[in-house]
Amino acid sequence: MKPRLSFALLIIVALLGGCASGPDFSEYSPKIPPVDPQMARIFLYRPGSFGAAIQPAIRVNGTEVGIAKAEGAFYYDVPPGEYTIETRTEVVRKLTLKLEKGDVRYVRFGVSMGFVAGHIYPELVDASVGTAEIQDCHYSGAVR
Amino acid sequence: MPAMPSRLRILGGILAGILILGVTGCMFDIVSVPQAPTQFTPVAGKGESFVLREAHYVSIGTFFQTILEAGTKWVMIGRIPEGAVYRSDDQVLTVEASNIHEAALVVDGGEVVGFYLLVEKTFCPAQQKTPLK
Repeated sequence: MKPRLSFALLIIVALLGGCASGPDFSEYSPKIPPVDPQMARIFLYRPGSFGAAIQPAIRVNGTEVGIAKAEGAFYYDVPPGEYTIETRTEVVRKLTLKLEKGDVRYVRFGVSMGFVAGHIYPELVDASVGTAEIQDCHYSGAVR
Repeated sequence: MPAMPSRLRILGGILAGILILGVTGCMFDIVSVPQAPTQFTPVAGKGESFVLREAHYVSIGTFFQTILEAGTKWVMIGRIPEGAVYRSDDQVLTVEASNIHEAALVVDGGEVVGFYLLVEKTFCPAQQKTPLK
């Protein structure tokens, strides 16, 4: 194989290897149970494949709950309260939010420019935006 | 001028790289939401409400604007010394700098005067007061 072709293939494999590979979220979502009325639910998702090689851990109040994989999505149930959701690459990016009983919130992970590597930042989005965008992701599972 | 020994040059390069990384790492994290502690008092029962006829763009002096969308209904949930505090079920509200914080709207005298940060329990002033329409 020519060196240029093998290099290009290597790049493609590296990029695709960073994407979530679980079932389509749209197929998986009917299996998701309704949120316990005493709890709150956070859907965490990262649309698109830009910066796929960067996959920081997602921490909720300091506990690792999953990985911010490109095109990946999962949910995490928590008691009502105050939460900090963060990722760490070159820097730590944080989102703070307050959850009430029965709340269902959507947190999207975006990619911004960094010095050596891109930054993955969490942002709170409207449910109408989150429910639409998450359908194009793959279920990547939470760390339990 | 004598040539710098190659080991010294390499060491210098590494140190310069670490310095650049350190400085730029800090630069990426340098913009924070201006905020000051405040005292929140919740309202008993259902608070007064209003619906926005127009979209409003409120700046807090960072690079990011907070958008209040047209047609959203805002219900009073309490008060802080800086004004009445409102939340909406129609949109999420955040203020943003290097990090993002969920917030409630603070209104005084018919103007948006800033935001109440729900987790931090602080007041973040608007750069300019914005009349509600």
